[in-house]
Amino acid sequence: MGGSFVARRLGQAAITIVAIILINFVLFRLMPGSPERVILRGTPNVTPERIEALRERWGLNDPVFPDQLVAYITSTLTGDLGYSFIARGQTVVDVLAQRIWPTILLFGLGEMVAIALGLALGAYSGWRRGGPIDYLGNSVSLILYSTPYFLLGMGFLLVFASSIKWLPTFGMLTAGRVYGSPFEFLADLGAHLVLPLATVSLGLVGQYAIVMRSSIIETLSEDYVNTARAMGLSEGRILRHHALPNALLPTVTLIAINLGYVIAGAITVEVVFNWPGLGTLTVQALTARDYPVLQGVFLLLSVAVVLANLVADLVYGVLDPRVRT
Amino acid sequence: MRSPIRTRAARVLVALGLVLTAVLPVARLATASNHLILKTGTDQDLQVLNPFSSILVVDFEIFTLNYDLLLNFGQDLEPAPGFADSWSASDDGLTWTFHIRDGMKWSDGTPATSADALYTYQLVIDATAKSDASEDGYYLGAGYLEGYLTNAGIKSVSAPDASTLVVETEFANTLLLNAYVPILPRHIWESHTLDEIGSAEGSTPFLNEPPVVGTGPYQATEWQPGDHITFTRNPNYWGKQGAADQVVVQTFQAMDTAVQALKSGEIDYVRGIQPDQFTALQGDPNIQVVEGISNGFSEIAFNTYNRGPIEGGGASTTALQDPKFRDALAWAIDQQKLVDVTLGGFGEPGTTIVPPFHTRWHSPPDNPRSFDIAEANRRLDAAGYPRDASGNRLDKEGKVITLRVTWPDSEAEHATDAQFIKEWWSELGVGVDAFVTEEGKLLDDLLPPEGGGLANFDIELWGWVGDPDPTSLLNVLRGEEIGSFSDSFYDNPRYDELFLLQRAESDEATRFAQIKEMQNLTYDEAPYIILYYDAELHAYRTDRFGGWTNQPSDGGTPLFGYGSIGYTHLTDLSAVPAPTQEPGATAGPSAAPGGPDGGSTGSDSTPLILGIAALVVVIAGGLLVMRRRSATAASEEE
Repeated sequence: MGGSFVARRLGQAAITIVAIILINFVLFRLMPGSPERVILRGTPNVTPERIEALRERWGLNDPVFPDQLVAYITSTLTGDLGYSFIARGQTVVDVLAQRIWPTILLFGLGEMVAIALGLALGAYSGWRRGGPIDYLGNSVSLILYSTPYFLLGMGFLLVFASSIKWLPTFGMLTAGRVYGSPFEFLADLGAHLVLPLATVSLGLVGQYAIVMRSSIIETLSEDYVNTARAMGLSEGRILRHHALPNALLPTVTLIAINLGYVIAGAITVEVVFNWPGLGTLTVQALTARDYPVLQGVFLLLSVAVVLANLVADLVYGVLDPRVRT
Repeated sequence: MRSPIRTRAARVLVALGLVLTAVLPVARLATASNHLILKTGTDQDLQVLNPFSSILVVDFEIFTLNYDLLLNFGQDLEPAPGFADSWSASDDGLTWTFHIRDGMKWSDGTPATSADALYTYQLVIDATAKSDASEDGYYLGAGYLEGYLTNAGIKSVSAPDASTLVVETEFANTLLLNAYVPILPRHIWESHTLDEIGSAEGSTPFLNEPPVVGTGPYQATEWQPGDHITFTRNPNYWGKQGAADQVVVQTFQAMDTAVQALKSGEIDYVRGIQPDQFTALQGDPNIQVVEGISNGFSEIAFNTYNRGPIEGGGASTTALQDPKFRDALAWAIDQQKLVDVTLGGFGEPGTTIVPPFHTRWHSPPDNPRSFDIAEANRRLDAAGYPRDASGNRLDKEGKVITLRVTWPDSEAEHATDAQFIKEWWSELGVGVDAFVTEEGKLLDDLLPPEGGGLANFDIELWGWVGDPDPTSLLNVLRGEEIGSFSDSFYDNPRYDELFLLQRAESDEATRFAQIKEMQNLTYDEAPYIILYYDAELHAYRTDRFGGWTNQPSDGGTPLFGYGSIGYTHLTDLSAVPAPTQEPGATAGPSAAPGGPDGGSTGSDSTPLILGIAALVVVIAGGLLVMRRRSATAASEEE
């Protein structure tokens, strides 16, 4: 039973990924302007012969279907995403690999902080509904939820970096700095991390708190909670052992989906703080029309969303055996 | 229930540790020292270290830090000693003899001799020959550098001894003294084939990755593509050394962030700021803003293609082929208004194709136009473009004139220009259909049949950027360039003749007269209407480095000009006691006694401690929440 559930979910995810690869292929062939002109952008004295040579070399003279499609799928499946137009001579895989770690670091930590704070705040304010923490927490959550990342980030930057100069303005490390010890390196990284991390986690904390709060309130009115009360269990024990595990279910979905969108949300935060991750890469690739890199980023993003959803489904299955049917 | 939470917390910490170790290799662990680092910020993203693939301003800036040109650009863009320290021409002007600096070394200690210069020039000559012979077209990298030698009519190079380089040219000229070709170390480059050097798309492209070996003042030692590149002082540099031990060129995606970083002192120099940011920085006592004149222009280019109709493409009216029609339209453009609105006042109205940046070659037009709608209407009437009953202008075929005006999406500011132009030309009865085109598609549309395209446009708004010599800007209106460089298809035999004459002219006064005639000719016939010469907006801090010197002195900028000279002028202000400590200047608590912040490692400690503290708080906070929860649970269970 459990096995078939997992197999079905895996199968669905695989089909979605294949569909994504196909859409990715079609999408970039609908872009205006011919690819050979993009490759030659900024190059003077382009003769028709050179364009023809390029078309031949990049396989653009082959029919789109099936030749180009087959070539695309084969190379994508073997991990060959082609060459970046702008980072001349570098493969897309190399370019993505350089940029994925800073994003994972920033948003991984940001998610953890947001989960810890958001769920704690949500659970507490739901449990003590109508109390001062609830009023305060709920309004703060709503404000944070509706504030765009870049606004929050720019505000932090103006106050803490530019005005009172406590923290660095941009980047992940101080460029050109030589570190005397690994500790100094970590300290430098930490200093650069504070503002973007605060932006990311505050941006996420609001929605986690709101969802957790309503989920807790709903659960607390369930029959089994009343039963637990009738059995004379302490309020704290009811919350932790009976209400919390059930109230976590909807938040698991939310968090899992958010994990997939982490990179997409990265764009504005990373641009504001010049964080060298996938977000700034996406902007660079967009402005420079680096289609191979964009294609790689899209693929990575969509696969991340699919995998996150898969994880959510599987975790849900563990948490709530009823869905395993 | 409790132990899983604990293990989860432990897992989180392990994951965190893993991520940190993944990032750790980036760190270069070494002994800390008092490095003086010059940090510059730019909106451009450095893309290559192979000079032949250079396209952007920042690409050129970076290769001239690494390498010397045979002759560098001086403070006022005059030829200055570079790889060669003296030079002379034969009496007939056909043979140039360069003396290569004695005892010069590459940054790795290998002697730098005429053999290296010979290797580099021969590489370019070979690539040009291959290009001429090749059926499918061949270019060395981006194809920008060959032109500096081919325009100078280079025929052959030789190196009779280690300190002499002899160059033979087909015609007498001085363009060789402005050749933007870096001299490369033969002992590094000769193991790579022409294809590896010239093609970034090949299987084994030569990327010239750090550490780079050159004779320039700074050598690239570390590169994080898309983020920054670090240069370290060349210990063997032959010239005057600048104060900076290292130079970092940082890319910014948001110029607002760059401006904040300049204000906080994290960077020393920024290129490419916006007018409002420029104005905002003007009040800062430690920041100097520079409004340089750019060596280039933005223009209206007309599709003047007159070699017969193009099936399925071409201009929508033959009127565009008529200089009188184009001239009349030019009378109906208020260029000052465009400067004020589009450029926020930073720039000046354009006139000829040689911008005032070229003080020696720019010549204001003999018959300047002004903004005068009535005059424009008179000229259209006189040129035979009558109005129909509803007031629309008709071309000579009796067709209503509606012009398609477009611009690339990469130059969004032209949308403003187009709106104004539409408004003004409507008073002439000339319709305008204004729309933006994706850059790649526009490049396609601009190709005439000679270049394999359909020249399917009427008017495009775009711009050009020039070199220290005006040749490359003059080149774009040559008839011979139809099919490659030319985007107006202007075809005037007198202009083409003058182009060749000025190129081969060694006498400055004669050459100026020729270039002046070219400017007048194209101003009057208006294949281009030069809308404006935009300003280069830069800003730098004055509290850490001194010696900032504009290049050229009149209207230039200290850095991101031509070559590395600006970097070698810089002096260290933190070495001398701060001259004036104005009390009210910075009200911040960091009024450290020893001068400006951010200079030495010591003053960095505040953000560091805060950073560690924040990290610790974050992690500890998370753990605390979990522990407290389990502790209370435990007490309840008792």
